[in-house]
Amino acid sequence: MNLPRRLLCVITDDSTDPVELARLALEGGAGMVQLRRKKATGRELFQWAVRIQALCREQDALFIVNDRVDIALAMHADGVHLGQQDMPASAARSLCGPDAIIGVSVSCTDEALKAAAEGASYIGVGHIFPTFSKDKPTPPIGTAAIRTIRNAAQLPVIAIGGIDHDNAAEVIRAGASGIAVISAISESDDPAAATRELVKRIRQ
Amino acid sequence: MIVSSGGEHLAHRGLALKQAQALARSAPVLFQLREKGLDAASIWQLSLQIAPILKEAGSILALNERFDLALATGAGGVHLPESSCPADAVRKAARGLLAGQSVHSETAALQASSAGLDYLLFGPVFHTPSKEPFGPPQGLERLREICAKVRIPVFAVGGVTPEKALACLECGAWGVAALTPFLDAEAMPETINRFFAFIPS
Repeated sequence: MNLPRRLLCVITDDSTDPVELARLALEGGAGMVQLRRKKATGRELFQWAVRIQALCREQDALFIVNDRVDIALAMHADGVHLGQQDMPASAARSLCGPDAIIGVSVSCTDEALKAAAEGASYIGVGHIFPTFSKDKPTPPIGTAAIRTIRNAAQLPVIAIGGIDHDNAAEVIRAGASGIAVISAISESDDPAAATRELVKRIRQ
Repeated sequence: MIVSSGGEHLAHRGLALKQAQALARSAPVLFQLREKGLDAASIWQLSLQIAPILKEAGSILALNERFDLALATGAGGVHLPESSCPADAVRKAARGLLAGQSVHSETAALQASSAGLDYLLFGPVFHTPSKEPFGPPQGLERLREICAKVRIPVFAVGGVTPEKALACLECGAWGVAALTPFLDAEAMPETINRFFAFIPS
């Protein structure tokens, strides 16, 4: 499946009700929602996933699950997003089939090339700017890395890490197909408006 | 007979792998790999290592909850905790795997049974430190009630020793499951034999 250009992917955080967050993000025009909740039980994830997927379908948005390929298979999500500590993309590709979206987090060219060889649909490249959403021991890779990594892997790049209203357009100019955000939406007083504004900035 | 690993792989430096190697010299069992401290990439690796060893010995490897990893690594089974992704959805998505679930109530047991799972783990039957989070022991009478009500094999778990295994079978249990007796991986073939001595096959 081809990813839409200038895509905004909203990732759920660890504290907000993920279904409500997804509803507001979709209201604001998000093109993709990723369910990411590391400490939830399988049952919670499944139930959230079913409800978020239904909301996404209403808006023609995509729905993917972080790490848990089992949940994605059980409720027929559009795809999965895998970190470097998750199942290899090649295994996920065999399980989910040729049409599934399989994203892989990468922070350097080597990881990106491996993801491409293993059948990833896109690479999540980051973190671009300093961020507090994830505990990152490594320094940010900056916007210049986006084009380098994209050209090496020949895959669409969804940039992640510290992206907000002020720098979103710069990230797209630097070669990203889309952006992924967590706190820019989940910590906003008005997640729908924050999403709408980000979508506007990346489509300028 | 089900042998459970209990999230001890990290703490005991590769206990699960040692257990699997010992299982190569043991009578066939279902080995439940339950390593909550490990990320998916590590479980994937570990399962790729362990699954062929167990297969060779006639045993079955069941990964905890992650049927995706089981399918991807050639493990033969998946074991669901009670709070897992719903059993009927797993059953549909993971055809071909042996699939079971831990249950702690009659409602959960009946749901799992009607979802088409292959077996249940019911407990804790007796007192055991490793199962304290799941409440006080349910006792043999509760085990008997559950076994009478569900139509799939029930394995008794929780404080089951070789000596107590027969009492569980007399209540209708298909077999027993245990974790603590197998923490000494070296003694595993012998421990399994002690269990089988009390379990008529």
